[in-house]
Amino acid sequence: MAIDPRTEASLSDDVLELFVEGADWESVVDAVEDETITINMGPQHPSTHGVLRLVLDLDGETVTRLTPIVGYLHTGIEKNAEVRTWVQGTTFFTRMDYLAPLFNETAFCLGVEKLLDIEVPERAQAVRVILMEFNRIASHLVWLATGGMELGSTTMMVFGFREREHVLDLFESQSGLRMNHAYIRTGGLAQDVTEDFVDRCEALLELLPRKIAEYEDLLKRNPIWNDRLRGIGPLDAETATRYGVTGPLLRAAGVPFDLRKAQPYSGYEQYEFDVPTETAADSYARFLLRIEEMRQSMRIIRQALDTLPGGPVMVADKHIAWPSQQSLGVDGIGNDPEYIRHIMGESMEALINHFKLTTQGFTVPAGQVYLPVESPRGELGYAITSTGTNKPYRVHVREPSFVNLQAADIMARGQMVADVVVVVASLDPVMGGVDR
Amino acid sequence: MTEFSVPTRTHGLTRTALPLDGLAARITDRFPEVEATEAYGELTLHVAPEHLVEVLTFCRDDEELDMALLSDLSGVHWPAGDHIIERQASTTGWPEYRVSREQGMIEVLYILRSLTRNHWFRVSVATPDDAPQLPSVTEVFTTANFHEREVFDFFGVEFAGHPDLTRILMPDDCIGHPHRKDYPLGGVDIPYKNDKFIPPPDERDIREVID
Repeated sequence: MAIDPRTEASLSDDVLELFVEGADWESVVDAVEDETITINMGPQHPSTHGVLRLVLDLDGETVTRLTPIVGYLHTGIEKNAEVRTWVQGTTFFTRMDYLAPLFNETAFCLGVEKLLDIEVPERAQAVRVILMEFNRIASHLVWLATGGMELGSTTMMVFGFREREHVLDLFESQSGLRMNHAYIRTGGLAQDVTEDFVDRCEALLELLPRKIAEYEDLLKRNPIWNDRLRGIGPLDAETATRYGVTGPLLRAAGVPFDLRKAQPYSGYEQYEFDVPTETAADSYARFLLRIEEMRQSMRIIRQALDTLPGGPVMVADKHIAWPSQQSLGVDGIGNDPEYIRHIMGESMEALINHFKLTTQGFTVPAGQVYLPVESPRGELGYAITSTGTNKPYRVHVREPSFVNLQAADIMARGQMVADVVVVVASLDPVMGGVDR
Repeated sequence: MTEFSVPTRTHGLTRTALPLDGLAARITDRFPEVEATEAYGELTLHVAPEHLVEVLTFCRDDEELDMALLSDLSGVHWPAGDHIIERQASTTGWPEYRVSREQGMIEVLYILRSLTRNHWFRVSVATPDDAPQLPSVTEVFTTANFHEREVFDFFGVEFAGHPDLTRILMPDDCIGHPHRKDYPLGGVDIPYKNDKFIPPPDERDIREVID
């Protein structure tokens, strides 16, 4: 072990600072004897899901305290939204939790729609539900893939990302983008789904159950997977509630709380589905639970596809509906020539309306609403304050990753350093959402 | 493996939700100084800072309310001065928004939720924006820890009794509290080659952008 000469001066009487590189662990153990060691894990560490820094207090190899330090990805999205119109807001919020962009878009739009007191057409609601449930599957697949990789199962990583790509292909075919779609707009959808939408969904519904069964075969009885997950990161229902933890972690502790059932939105009350729960409250229970959630999501998509209503996908109110029309031309999707002819050649009023809406946007009544949806990570809530202008006065996002991360400390205490990786993986934090 | 307790209370939506007026009555009966308002089908309780911890503890422990989960905690800054928005009156027919404040306020909103009864409401507490101070509720709900650090970071609200009130999302050497409305929106010098001063978005000249 080499004590860095630069740090000699900083050594105080009561704190021993050691700068070591790989393979120096033995010498650290000799130097510190039986003292508690504080080490940094991250912000650049393959298992920290982005840029999360964990400060670990270690007694030997046992974690006595874990302090998550966040903020490295803070981009001020909430503040930015205050100087943009309500329509532009969607474009910002979709970039927060980048593994669940459609949930962010929907939650924000539902909040604005609640303030405006408008009801979105049934077709738009059903498409939102279908896309959100596919997004939940994609998000859980990434969780399975990255979680598997962190525990040494590179096969699972390749599998998870491979199937997720199929889901993202569907999103791309509808919105033009794999992620950060800005497809769900206030009042409905940016545009109607394509003609082959149902066929694409059917193909995925045929493919995914087989693949999910394959993952289960691969991992469920895998001895390494069992040894690494069982009994790791326990979080019982009382503690989870105290720490504000929602979503799969709370359900894995036996609490069947799901906002799709508790406060149905976007027509979830029409669909039959179960809220799976587990009682073991450890990382393995969370694995089983997320697998089952993917199955329930497919059940919802199946019903939504069977009853997919026709009709418009945007509210009829011309003061709110986004005026632009898109159509497929020889060089891809672009402005609809019919619509351009209408506003440029036929109706001055239509041109004015188009211009006003695309530059100023619409105004939203003054008031405060809080609208939560069930994202793959838990309760994703939008607390929106409006003063009656064309811009939000304040939008605060209750990000499940941000809240759940607090419980990492209580889950990791008394466990080994290697288990911290499992604890963080089972929390499934997305740093884009934590730091916003 | 660490020992952990098995859930003892009945969980899940086992009981029906209280209606909004029933919720409000349950709290105003106990705390007559709490003011309840309803808008957009949502209940808001306006609580004075000195009663905050007491009211939140009651909501958590009361058998009828059973609000075990603090879902969200956020801040809104309402600076002093006149705030008049007239435009909507002519175009939409909504009432004119006219608010005049002598003292700027920071409003802190707590979303409380019951996991067994499926009801929720908002608790609103206001504190002056020149010396914002509120009692911490981390003793009542552990989850308030990160939330209160965030509100301190963004609005400068000092939560008395918080175990570790430091900045959470902004850098430690950041000056000011960026979500306050008096925080400059931009106008920072950009240290690049051929850099140009970029004015804040609300002072930008749209014609310059087009040029």
